[in-house]
Amino acid sequence: MAGSNEVNANESKMVVPLNTWVLISNFKLAYNMLRRPDGTFNRHLAEFLDRKVQANATPVNGVLSFDQLIDRSTNLLVRIYRPTPILDTEDPQTSPSPATSSIFSSLISCPSPDPFPVIIFFHGGSFAHSSANTAIYDSLCRRFVSLCNAVVVSVNYRRSPEYRYPCAYDDGFTALKWACAQPWLHSGKDSKLRVFLSGDSSGGNIAHHVAAQAIESGITISGNILLNPMFGGQARTESEERLDGKYFVTLQDRDWYWKAFLPEGADRDHPASNPFGPNGIDLRGLPYPKSLVVIAGLDLIQDWQLAFVEGLKKADQDVKLVYREQATIGFYLLPNTDHFHEVMEEIKCFVSSNC
Amino acid sequence: MGPYPCGSAAGGWEGVRSEAQCTAAPDIDGLLAGAGYRVRSSDLCQVAQRLERLESAMVYNSGGGHADYDHLASDAVHYNPSDLASWVDSMLSELTPADPGPVRHAPAPDGWVDQIYPQPQRAVAARMEEEEDSGIRLVHLLMSSAEAIQRGDAALSGSLIDEMRLLLTRVNTGFGIGKVAGYFVDALTRRLYSVSSPAASGSPAEYEILYHHFYEASPYLKFAHFTANQAILEAFDGHDRVHVIDFSLMHGLQWPALIQALALRPGGPPSLRLTGIGPPSPDGRDSLREIGVRLAELARSVRVQFAFRGVAANRLDDVRPWMLQVAPGEAVAVNSVMQLHRLLTDPDSPGPAPIDSVLSWIHGLRPKIVTVVEQEADHNKTGFLDRFTEALFYYSTMFDSLEAGRANGSAVQQQQATAVAEVYLQREIRDIVCCEGPDRAERHEPLVRWRARMGQAGFKPVHLGSNAFKQASMLLTLFSGEGYCVEEVDGCLTLGWHSRPLIAASAWRADDLEDNARPVPDNFIFSSISSTSNTNDSNNNNNNNNNIINGNGSMLRRNSNNNSRSSDSSSQQESIHGM
Repeated sequence: MAGSNEVNANESKMVVPLNTWVLISNFKLAYNMLRRPDGTFNRHLAEFLDRKVQANATPVNGVLSFDQLIDRSTNLLVRIYRPTPILDTEDPQTSPSPATSSIFSSLISCPSPDPFPVIIFFHGGSFAHSSANTAIYDSLCRRFVSLCNAVVVSVNYRRSPEYRYPCAYDDGFTALKWACAQPWLHSGKDSKLRVFLSGDSSGGNIAHHVAAQAIESGITISGNILLNPMFGGQARTESEERLDGKYFVTLQDRDWYWKAFLPEGADRDHPASNPFGPNGIDLRGLPYPKSLVVIAGLDLIQDWQLAFVEGLKKADQDVKLVYREQATIGFYLLPNTDHFHEVMEEIKCFVSSNC
Repeated sequence: MGPYPCGSAAGGWEGVRSEAQCTAAPDIDGLLAGAGYRVRSSDLCQVAQRLERLESAMVYNSGGGHADYDHLASDAVHYNPSDLASWVDSMLSELTPADPGPVRHAPAPDGWVDQIYPQPQRAVAARMEEEEDSGIRLVHLLMSSAEAIQRGDAALSGSLIDEMRLLLTRVNTGFGIGKVAGYFVDALTRRLYSVSSPAASGSPAEYEILYHHFYEASPYLKFAHFTANQAILEAFDGHDRVHVIDFSLMHGLQWPALIQALALRPGGPPSLRLTGIGPPSPDGRDSLREIGVRLAELARSVRVQFAFRGVAANRLDDVRPWMLQVAPGEAVAVNSVMQLHRLLTDPDSPGPAPIDSVLSWIHGLRPKIVTVVEQEADHNKTGFLDRFTEALFYYSTMFDSLEAGRANGSAVQQQQATAVAEVYLQREIRDIVCCEGPDRAERHEPLVRWRARMGQAGFKPVHLGSNAFKQASMLLTLFSGEGYCVEEVDGCLTLGWHSRPLIAASAWRADDLEDNARPVPDNFIFSSISSTSNTNDSNNNNNNNNNIINGNGSMLRRNSNNNSRSSDSSSQQESIHGM
């Protein structure tokens, strides 16, 4: 095992920049320490090790952020990212000076008279790791704001194993309903919420399921953006066997995370992990949103991700696949590869053409 | 309720998180810094190699079967995960005792932390209440009123206050924005209409009661005590004679736990001295001594050799190091919970502040550890509006957390504790809003500023690790109200509510302290001046001190048991011995 690890390190080192390799390897080893064989999770150590950042209501590179509690019963927090607000000079008599108005009332002001997208983002972490205020996801959300001139709502959903299916989905749907109820997020002459659901890894999985749930509520979603979405199934696929342990991820850890998230006793063909599997739903004829699905060619679960794309196509849904052959997991975390920049362009185009 | 951002829009730090290059010290990898990790670009290769070795070591230690990293997770103590190289090295040394040596890395240059993690204006978690519009209007009016005061427009401010009073009758003042707004309207009214400078009302005894209720109603002070005790316990490891100097004894609530922990120390407890500083009792009672007696009884019951000394002083800067009677060879811990900020002055005022001299003599004691807990807020801004805004958002979060505690507590006692705890906080609010210049005591400053100040005063950080973090987190689970969060930031721990840190705990030691205990230098043996200490002439004492400091290091030392009292504002109290 030690021998093959050396080989693996060399392989993965050849396909990612050194700082990316250090970052993702660090995550891998730290996460190894947090998962216990009995299925429990060392949450205290996880929170200690997780690098977080504070929200910042002062614009940095044109983006500011603030936290908002949207559901007291579950302590559901979201972090909202938006472009620098336009100052409100409506009422010179009693309106505060620019200093005060920019602090407060303009935080929740409409960013623009023209239609703008609202991207609800679900961070990754295989349902167990990370938070909305984790540094890597704070960076990514800020980038989305600048890229798409969007307001980004990053959801601090409940994580497994403490909170299993369907808690994360419920929190996602709560965030969607909350966004629907915010006047300042509606834009354009028709005052519509132009909402996109997005996420990476487990966040991508959540985005799909929230979109599916939204169908029956009649909420219109402009698009789904799934980055390396986390799917799985009971069978062992070719990509899983070929890539097991080679690029930061092992089948063993995938199994652990599913076991921690899915209901006790369920197997990986549960519709949460395998939406188009034996227990899946039929989306044909239903108003499921357009999807942009990005898959990394060195991600061992790609066969499941490709099966997801196939499933959408078979249900006559609109899906664009972006397959990056030599990309590994987490390529979107650091802006130091072509994968990163070209995928960001794809996202920008997708959002602007569907907004 | 709408969102609660923090602070004014002034003083932003543009460009720190730019994608290509952080305004970090050169050679730190900018992209990893954005992810929260400090690694020098020149070290990247070595760190990568160490990571590979760590992985191999982890696999090896798993016994070839089911991977079991429990040792690293449960036994090892982790420190400062941002310093990735050190973290990897510490993990490696846990697994492989024979190690060729750590990654070469120099300590980060001074001020680096400020550049990457300057204290941004933090957003406070908002609350969605039904009276959203009234609530927003209240905040709007508060800010306008404060701004009018800053501009000197008392008339406008007064009329806005009237409007707010009216609005408060329509808003639910039992919780949320209505409650905290009420306190701020009250404070604004006092500022506007009080003839004399509104000094903090109430006696020290009253203050102690408020403090006690705040202690009961929320986890903040418990967190402070707990975290500090953990650091003190670790610093005292291997020392037989230890001396804790508590900058504000209060009811001594912090110390039973430490005494008990020391009693259970493997290898036996050290002999413990506790010097408690507190205000003099006006009615002739010796409250410091009373607490000392209680603690001595506890120490006796767990067989810890214990001695107590009380030092009565109205202000920390009235205390002189000789009053603490630090003895040679003992390990000293200085503990300050929410005290140091009182020694600050207005940032704009020239000249040294009391904090500088106090930090200087603390440093001179060569303490093994200095534990500092402070409010995590910038309430020392000169501009009134800025300060007011910051306080509004800080205390609304604080009140919100108290509220959750009250809602979840069933006992009448809990309800009462919460109500009185609010009065405790009200005093702080009044001080921040109403007082100026030397009258203002609650000059809270954020952790990043304390870090700089401690660094300049010659202290190095002692990192609080994952064990302290874990135990703090577990402490919080005893408090219902899941909104509390403990976070680790560069070796310090913060406790907050709904992602807003409210209290920050850090630990320090003098930077030229060697690991082996050094005898206290001669210039701090003050027993030779004890015979002249009991005059009212503090200048005389200072001169004596100076003479000793500047003098020859070969003065004779005489051990003295000083049982005398004096009637000036600072005095020594009788020692109390346990066992």
